Amino acid sequence: MVTDIENEDSNIGKQNDNSNSIEVKDLKKYFIGKRKMEDVKAVDGVSFHVEEGEVFGLLGPNGAGKTTIINILTGILSPTSGTAGVGGYNVETDLKTIKKMISVCPQEPAVHKYITGLCNIEFFGTMYLMPKQQIAERAEELLKLLGLYDARKRKVKGYSGGMLRQLSLIISLINDPDILFLDEPTVGMDPRNRRKVWEFLSSMKKHDRTIILTTHYIEEAEALCDRVAIIDYGKLIAIGPPKELIKEHGVKDLEEVFMKITGRRILEGM
Amino acid sequence: MNLRRIYTIVKLEMIRLLREPLTSVFTILLVPVLILIFGLTMGDNYGWDETYSVFEIMVPGMLAYGSLLSIYDVAASVAGGRELGIQRRINTTPLTSAEYILGQLISYTIKPLIQFLLGFGIAYILGYRPTILAIGYLLAIVLVILLTFCSVGLGLITANFSKSAAAAGGFAFVFIVPQQIFATFIPAAFMGAGSFKWIFPSIYTTEGLGYIFSGASLTTSYLWLRLGVLFAITVVIYLIGILVFEKNKNK
Repeated sequence: MVTDIENEDSNIGKQNDNSNSIEVKDLKKYFIGKRKMEDVKAVDGVSFHVEEGEVFGLLGPNGAGKTTIINILTGILSPTSGTAGVGGYNVETDLKTIKKMISVCPQEPAVHKYITGLCNIEFFGTMYLMPKQQIAERAEELLKLLGLYDARKRKVKGYSGGMLRQLSLIISLINDPDILFLDEPTVGMDPRNRRKVWEFLSSMKKHDRTIILTTHYIEEAEALCDRVAIIDYGKLIAIGPPKELIKEHGVKDLEEVFMKITGRRILEGM
Repeated sequence: MNLRRIYTIVKLEMIRLLREPLTSVFTILLVPVLILIFGLTMGDNYGWDETYSVFEIMVPGMLAYGSLLSIYDVAASVAGGRELGIQRRINTTPLTSAEYILGQLISYTIKPLIQFLLGFGIAYILGYRPTILAIGYLLAIVLVILLTFCSVGLGLITANFSKSAAAAGGFAFVFIVPQQIFATFIPAAFMGAGSFKWIFPSIYTTEGLGYIFSGASLTTSYLWLRLGVLFAITVVIYLIGILVFEKNKNK
């Protein structure tokens, strides 16, 4: 049964197996409430496993806990309890190793505005110690592929919102990571560029790259993801391949799956 | 520790210096321009005490002031990077904190040194001829670098309390203005600072530079005491700054 989240096997004990898999076991992240407010349970006992070469989606409304999960998996936040493993390494003890094999495209563009797009790409390529020639070749390929080549020598300050998103995505792809974390990667992009990104990400699957992405676009989740985890109020409420989830609940899309389980729409809280 | 990464960070900061007008004015041009204005308008006639020229009274403090401006630079840059999410993104790459901090430190040290050279050069062109022993130049640079490190620490602390680059830039002046008024180019005695001046790190650089520029012996305790105290203050403030930065770098 695809939604049986209790049956998610855990391989967290098999550290250092060098696969590109992701393992999350009973993960919790609570933020301490300020000024007598209650603690916020951003992630509340989430477990899942992502296979090597899989595109795995975290789907849910704003504030569901998707970004917090990504932040824990990439070492930005420490979990309150539970374990998380990336590529066979524990995020709390082996972060240095994990950082060499991952890349993150955060929700906000997170680029230097006073330099050119190309300089930004080169800067982050250098952080991974890629050879100069390799950075140049990979940058050219990605810039052309994602339609930003003509603007590469322009200062980022003049980029539109969509262009910033494209640049941010290119930066996250420059090191050709084994495991890629994408936090709402196509927000603000026009439909044409969104399709381009989907095509590119789909092509990455052929190279055994693991992708974990958060989205609130139903269409994106259905088009890209091999499996999705639907998150609400920090809890995992369903997990499985989109088509099977839809079939199992007897509805026509993932939005309705969410609605059937929670009684709300994903986009309601936005 | 990878030198290529450190060099890339320094290069990026230097590009920012050239491309952001506010940064370049503040971190490169302000001190030389002030020395130019005071030098041209007041020349050798320093109103409060005519036995001294404006340069003898003000240049050491002006050069120290150049280092103080790093507080603004660091605070605005760190808070700005955090505001845009750049800091978080950088933290997900293999770049280590040691590499990042060293890269930043080198960049923030280069800027006051440029101000120092430009400021001193302009004063020299306008007629200032301090009696400096060769080793005095080296000690003067050490004093400027120490105050810059201290200012970087204060900048990191300031960034910690600020939610945006604009707020950080504003808060920075809480640390800059008192030091500027009581312990740089306006002589502390005139401001009635008295022993109160010793709480400001910049006084040690200002007085140290003044002493070196006077051509006096470099072996006296007057100079080395100031150097030693500044070193101790700098170590403490810089360490606090690093700890605060480490704690909040993923905010």
